[in-house]
Amino acid sequence: MAAIVIDRVRKSYGALTVLKDFSLDIADGEFVVLVGPSGCGKSTMLKILAGLEAASAGTIRIGGRDVTDLAPGDRDIAMVFQNYALYPHLTVASNMGFGLKMRGTPADEIARRVGEAARILDVEHLLERRPRQLSGGQRQRVALGRAIVREPQAFLMDEPLSNLDAKLRVHMRAEIGALHQRLGVTTIYVTHDQIEAMTMANRIVIIKDGEIQQIADPETMFERPANQFVAGFIGSPGMNFLTARAEQGVAQLFGTSVPVPPGADGAITVGLRPEHIEAGDGPVTFVARPNLVESLGSEKYIYFAAPEDNRPPGFLTRSEEDRRGDRLIARLINSGPIRIGEPVTLSFDPARLHVFDPASGRAIR
Amino acid sequence: MKQSLPARLVLYASVILTCAILVFPIYWLVITALSQPDQLRQLPPKFWPDEPRWGVFAKILAERPIFLWLGNSALAALGAVSISMVVSVLAGYSLSRFRVRGGESLGLFILTAKMLPATLLVIPLFGIFRMTGLIGSMWSIILAHATLIIPFTTWMLKGYFDTIPRELEQAAMVDGCSPLGALFRVILPVSAPGLAATALYGFVLSWSDYAYARTFLTNVQDNWTANLGITTMKGEYISNWSDISAASILVALPILAVYLFLERYLVGGLTAGSDK
Repeated sequence: MAAIVIDRVRKSYGALTVLKDFSLDIADGEFVVLVGPSGCGKSTMLKILAGLEAASAGTIRIGGRDVTDLAPGDRDIAMVFQNYALYPHLTVASNMGFGLKMRGTPADEIARRVGEAARILDVEHLLERRPRQLSGGQRQRVALGRAIVREPQAFLMDEPLSNLDAKLRVHMRAEIGALHQRLGVTTIYVTHDQIEAMTMANRIVIIKDGEIQQIADPETMFERPANQFVAGFIGSPGMNFLTARAEQGVAQLFGTSVPVPPGADGAITVGLRPEHIEAGDGPVTFVARPNLVESLGSEKYIYFAAPEDNRPPGFLTRSEEDRRGDRLIARLINSGPIRIGEPVTLSFDPARLHVFDPASGRAIR
Repeated sequence: MKQSLPARLVLYASVILTCAILVFPIYWLVITALSQPDQLRQLPPKFWPDEPRWGVFAKILAERPIFLWLGNSALAALGAVSISMVVSVLAGYSLSRFRVRGGESLGLFILTAKMLPATLLVIPLFGIFRMTGLIGSMWSIILAHATLIIPFTTWMLKGYFDTIPRELEQAAMVDGCSPLGALFRVILPVSAPGLAATALYGFVLSWSDYAYARTFLTNVQDNWTANLGITTMKGEYISNWSDISAASILVALPILAVYLFLERYLVGGLTAGSDK
């Protein structure tokens, strides 16, 4: 177990820079999730941490030791890959013990540690099988087992759940969380799935175009996003964005004057989470005509047009259809029957609004 | 998807026709070997000899140094394949995994070398071997065959390595292997089917050579390979095609044996289960 310090790491491929001065301090035993859209540089950062890619600049320290120029095997880290990367010609036991064998660990010690890891992960009955004889979930457990037998200073996990089906993913998510609680090993976990990030992390690092957008615990990330990108990335369905003009601490939204932070002046982007819109009257009430209703049993997603005056030029994180700029989403619980085209009274609390500078995207508070 | 009856009939007919075209020369070789020499050109042809000459194989083995020729062919093929595999494993792996300046041009250069007819290299190789005193020695044929085999095997292995997930050697490196250690401990064991197919291909290339053997080994009878030896059975005016066919069958048998030995490695699917 060890603290990890990433200090101004940069990675360029010729003229293309995929990581820009990436700095992050990770405490001993912390579970940090790097999250961002495809191509944002999160997996590259993990590979640089592992030593599988060389940084163009910057330093990495693991447990106080500068490992920037060390080979992967000398960094005392273990990695779980997206496609598991089990050695197909070896049995499960040999797969799990491979790293120890490479380090010259005595055979009886390897057997003891493999047995212990297999017991923790409930794969004892699979030890003599080969990877091709295992299911996806079992392969995932073996890949985790291969990492934990090494008793490394840190675990690096590169989207380890993305190949599992939805049900198994939820199950393994909980298992990895429990494993982290039990072993307390510093873990850096890469995913593009914000739900994994929110449910597993002590701290989340959101990355876009090779730059850190925000580092925070899940709750802060959700409640106080640093910018419009983070606000749109975290939360499902994504945050609604509207445009408005702020003058003297007030903006017109849905035909109602709502208070905005004093720093907001002129054109602003206003964010409102779908779950913060409620059915019925409230501090700011408006009538919407749903053009789509999705019923999920316990909740409904209501899609409706934004008022003409508040239509944004485009969304950052929605589907192409939503980017047309006239659709807002409300997530309603126990709302009663709602039909397409029929008026429905909705409301929100202006204290729940997020305000962003439309030029820089930065949050205004 | 279930196919209709006419579609299946056409499919089976195509398969049978293709097999017939492929098998017929071998069948004809066998009946030529078993026929009396004076029955070979009779019309209409006989599709099975009246009195098969089963003793022809023993006769050939007694009259000609077939085992010596086969031994020389095997030595040339094993030597050339061994050298080729060492070179092409490293070259193919490098081309598959590492992006270096000029790497693509180098790969294309190897590909171009593959396209050159082997006979084009006979004269320069002859010159080189004469200068180095290798003419007539087994080394000449081993090295010449290696030049023939390496471009093919390098590209075959590059293609095979391309199909192996990079994460396998990355996992091995995180587990403590050096890049070369990852190649030998993980990638090569996983590549067994590809290595076997490539080695077999190289073996067949070497085994079927005649031009190089004829050019480099003619003057040293003890080093004749099987193909070179068989051609000496052809007389200037009269050729005993039955004997030549029988010898050809004996020469083809080792290739069949090598194929049967390597067959279990040729079956793919060893990498199954390494990833999702």
